[in-house]
Amino acid sequence: MKRAPARGWPSTIVGIALLALMLFPVYWIVNASLQPAGNTLRGGWFPFHPDLSGYLTALRDQGGNLVTSLVVALGSVALSLGLAAPAAYALAQFRLRGTNLVLFGILVTQMVPGIVVANALYSAYTDLGLLNSYLGLILADSTAGVPFAIIILRSFMRSIPREVIEAAHVDGAGRLRVFRSVVLPVSRNALITAAVFTFLFTWSDFLFALTLTTTQTVRPITLGIYQYIGAHTNQWNAVMATTVLASVPAALLLVVAQRHLAAGATSGAVK
Amino acid sequence: MISPARLPARRPAALLSGAVALALAVASCSGGSSDGSATSKVTSITALDYYTDEPEHSQWGEMLTACGKTAGVKVEQTSVPGASLLPKVLQQASSRTLPDLLMLDNPDLQQIAQTGALTPLEQYGIDSSGFAKGILSAGTYKGRLYGLAPYVSTIALFYNRDMLANAGVAVPRTWDELETAAARLTRPGRYGMAVDANPTFEGTWQFLPFLWSNGGDEKRLDTPQAAQALQLWVDLVKSGSMSKSVLNWTQADVHDQFVAGRTAMMINGPWRIPALNKDKNLHWGVAPIPVPRTGQTPVTPLGGEVWTVPQNAESRQEKAAQVLACLNSSPNQLALAEQHFTVPSRTAMASQYAEQVPSMAAFVKSVEAARARTSELGVKWPKAATGIYTAIQSALTGEQAPQEALRHAQQIATSD
Amino acid sequence: MPSRSRPVTDPARARCWERLAQWMYIVPAAAYLLLFFGYPIAKNIVMSFQQYTITTFYTGAAPFVGLQNYSKILASDLFSKALLTTVLFTAGSIVGQFALGLAFALFFQRRFPLNGVLRSLLLLPWLLPLVVSGTAWRWMLDPDTGVVNAALRALRLSSSGIPWLTGTSQALVSVILINIWVGIPFNTAILYGGLQDIPRHLYEAAKLDGAGPLASFRHVTWPLLRPVVSVVLVLGVVYTVKVLDIILVVTGGGPAGATETLATQSYELSFQQFEFGRGAAMSNVLIVISLAFAIVYLRANRRARNV
Repeated sequence: MKRAPARGWPSTIVGIALLALMLFPVYWIVNASLQPAGNTLRGGWFPFHPDLSGYLTALRDQGGNLVTSLVVALGSVALSLGLAAPAAYALAQFRLRGTNLVLFGILVTQMVPGIVVANALYSAYTDLGLLNSYLGLILADSTAGVPFAIIILRSFMRSIPREVIEAAHVDGAGRLRVFRSVVLPVSRNALITAAVFTFLFTWSDFLFALTLTTTQTVRPITLGIYQYIGAHTNQWNAVMATTVLASVPAALLLVVAQRHLAAGATSGAVK
Repeated sequence: MISPARLPARRPAALLSGAVALALAVASCSGGSSDGSATSKVTSITALDYYTDEPEHSQWGEMLTACGKTAGVKVEQTSVPGASLLPKVLQQASSRTLPDLLMLDNPDLQQIAQTGALTPLEQYGIDSSGFAKGILSAGTYKGRLYGLAPYVSTIALFYNRDMLANAGVAVPRTWDELETAAARLTRPGRYGMAVDANPTFEGTWQFLPFLWSNGGDEKRLDTPQAAQALQLWVDLVKSGSMSKSVLNWTQADVHDQFVAGRTAMMINGPWRIPALNKDKNLHWGVAPIPVPRTGQTPVTPLGGEVWTVPQNAESRQEKAAQVLACLNSSPNQLALAEQHFTVPSRTAMASQYAEQVPSMAAFVKSVEAARARTSELGVKWPKAATGIYTAIQSALTGEQAPQEALRHAQQIATSD
Repeated sequence: MPSRSRPVTDPARARCWERLAQWMYIVPAAAYLLLFFGYPIAKNIVMSFQQYTITTFYTGAAPFVGLQNYSKILASDLFSKALLTTVLFTAGSIVGQFALGLAFALFFQRRFPLNGVLRSLLLLPWLLPLVVSGTAWRWMLDPDTGVVNAALRALRLSSSGIPWLTGTSQALVSVILINIWVGIPFNTAILYGGLQDIPRHLYEAAKLDGAGPLASFRHVTWPLLRPVVSVVLVLGVVYTVKVLDIILVVTGGGPAGATETLATQSYELSFQQFEFGRGAAMSNVLIVISLAFAIVYLRANRRARNV
C-alpha cells in the first residue's frame, strides 16, 4: 500500500495509452456513428460536424431490443452460475471417480461449432414450443456460459485450501452450508469473472438469436442491428449508433462488476 | 455428522434440475402453436422475406397487409438478413414450420422446389400469362410453376455525370471505351470504375453481364470468351483504374464508394436509386453495361424475388395463394416497381411503366434481354457460381491467369 | 479382506450416500450439457455419414453413404490449404493473444489510480457484435482509404500502403491481428484473475531471497499460474479453431481463398453449396483436431507436472 501513490500516476498514463491503442477500433465505431446517414466513408478522423440521426434512428427502433438483450443476458448469467458453481465445486474439491472424464466432456462441448448446436436446437425447440421465448434463448445462450463457467470456476476453486473447508466441516457446518458460506464467498473473484464472460457471450450472441426466433416478439439487440445491414443499403451510422448505445449499459455493468472484483481481490490479499 | 449434510445437499440440486424440467414443460405447453388446425377459419398467415432494409421493409409490409385484407387475413411479415434466409427456410422445412408465404431470391427457387416443400401455383388458378419469359423460367421447376415475382431487375452501369463532364469522357458503350474512360477518370483518391468481385454469389452475379455479353456460358467456363471477359476485369485492376479492394467489396460497399465520390462509375442495381436520389449533390446517370463490340446488346442476369406458397394446411395455402396473386396483380406490380425502382414482370405493364417513368427505360430494355441464372443449369447453378467467383478471385489477385483460373472454375462447376 | 466387506456396515452405506450427494452437485449441469450438446453432436455425426442435401430437410430421406463425405473433403485440393491456414491462424492468434494478454495482466498487477476502470474498459471489444467490429476493421484496413494505411503513410513507414485485405499473404496476417485484438480481453481477464490468487507473501519471500522481477516471475508467478495458463491456452485453441464470423465479415475467406479455414469451409459446404453431409463431416474433422490438441496438451502438461 505504501508504494501505491509513488508508483501510481505514471502507470496510469501508460495504461491509458495502451488502452487508447486497444480501443481505437471502438473510437472508430463511435466516430462512424456520428457521421451523417448514407455515407460513413467521407468521415475524417474526427466527427467535426456530429450528426445524431444515427442515434435517433437507433433510439426509435431499438429500445425494446435492448431490454430483451439485458433480460436474456442476465437470465443466462443466473442459469449458468446456478448450474456451474456447484458442479465446479464438486469437480474441484470432491475426489470423485470420473472427474477427469466429466471435465473432458465439458471441454469437448466447447469444440462444437455454434451453428451445429443452433441447427439442432431449432428442431428441438419447434417441438417444445420454445421458439421466440426468453427461456429458449436463455437456455441456448447458456450453452456457452455453463461449460465455460465450470472450467473457470473449477480452476479457481481448486486453489481453495482443503483445510478451510475441512475446518468448516469440523465446526459442524453441513456440506451445503460450507458451499454457500465458505466456498462461494472465497470464490467471489472467479464467480464475477465467470459472470462477466457469460454476460459477454450472451450479449454478443447473434447466431442463437437469429436461429431461435421467428417473429419480432423476442429480439435481442444484435439481431436488431441487422435491420440496418440490409441486402441493398447499409445504414452504417445507425448500425454503429446502436452498437454504441447497446454498449453503454453493458459497459457500466462491467465497471461495477470489476469494482467488486477489485474489492474482493484486495480483501483476499489482506487475509 | 454426515446425514444432515447429505439431505439438504441433495434436495437443491434435485430441485434445480426439476425446475428446469418444469420450466421446459410449462413453456412447451404454453408455447404450443395454434396453427395446423385445418378445420378452423384462417384469420392470419405468416410471410417470410429478406427485406430488412427501410423503407423497403415497411413498403412490403403495407403491400402484404393490403393484399391480406382482400383475402380476409392478417399477414404477419418477418424479414431476416439475406444470407440467413435459406438456412432459416431449411430449418423450417425440416420441422414442418414453413411460413405460409415465402419469398425466395429467384436463383434459389429451383433448389427449394426440388425438395418438395413448395406447391405448384397452377392448382390455385393463378394467372401467369403475360409474364416475361426469364422470370417464368426462374420460377419453374420440372415444368411446373412454383414462384412468381411482382417485379424484376438487373444491373447496369451507374456513372457520376459531373466527373465524366469534367474529364470530357462520354458514357462508355464498349469494353474498349470502358477501359479508356475508366483510366481517364482515375485521379488520386478516386478510381474510374468499381465492381463487386468478392468471393460470394454476388461477385458472380456482377461478372455475368461481361461473361454472357461476350458469348461466354456457365455450362462451359474454360472458353476464350470467358477468359476475355475475365481479362477485362484483370486489366481494369492492373491499370489502376479499379481498386484491388473490389476483391473485398459487396454491392453495398461499391455503392458507398460511388456516393463518396471515390469512384466515377460502378456496376449496380436500380434498388440503389432511392439512396442515390437522397444525395442532392450527386448527379448520377445510368446506362446499359458496356458490351465487347459496338452494336451488341448486353445480356444481364435477371434479378428479383419470387413469392411461393410452401406446403401447409390447405386452407392456409389457399389464403396465401390469394395474397400472392394480389401481389402480382397488374396495378400492384406497377406500384411496387415504382416504389423500388424495379421493372414490373408483366411485359405489358413494363412497357406502360417505361412510358410513365422514362428514367427507368434503360432498365426496362435490359430486363427484356436478361437471363435467369438457373435457366441452363437449374439446381446445379450454385456449383458453377462457386467456380466463377473462385476464378475471379484467383485472376484478380494474380494467383492464376484468367484461362487457368477458368479451367479450375470448370472443374469446380462439374465436380460432384 | 472380503470378510470385512460382506456385512453391510453403516460406513459403507454412508460412503455410498456421500458419493451420491456429491454427484448431485454435478448432475444438473451434466444433464443440461448432455441435453444441449449430446443431441447436436449425435445429429452431426449421423449427418456426416449421410448424403444430406437440401431435399433431406423436407423429405427426411438421407441415404447412408459411409465414409464418402469424409473421403471427398479430405481428397479435395482445398483441404490441405485450409488446414494449413487453420493451423497458422490458430497458432498466430494464440501466441499473440496470450503474450499480449499476459503482458496486460502483469501490467494491471501494479497498483495505480483508475486501474479497475481501465481494466473493465479493456473488455469493451467483447461487447461489440463481431459483425460491427469486423466492419470497423475492414474500413480501417482498407488499402486505399483505411486509417491504418493513412497513418503508415503519414509516419512515412510505407509510401504505397500495405494491401491488408487484398494481398493473399497479408490478408491472413490481418485476420490474425484482428482475432488477437478480439482475444486479448479474454486472456487478460482470466490471467489477471489467476495472478490475483497467487499469495503475495510468496513474492515477498522471493524478494528476500534476492530474486529480481524476472526470477520471481520464473519461480513464483509462472509455476503457480500454470493451471490458469492451461485453461486459457486450451480454451483459446478450441475457440480459435472454430472462429467463423470474423473471417466471414472481414475477408469472406478471400482473397483467392487465402483466409479460408476449415471452419469457413464447413460453413460454405453447408450453406452455400448445400452439401450438408460434407459440411457436417468438415465440422467433425474440426472437432477431432481440437480434441487431438487437447489430449496431447493435457498429457504433456500432466507429465510436466509430475516431473
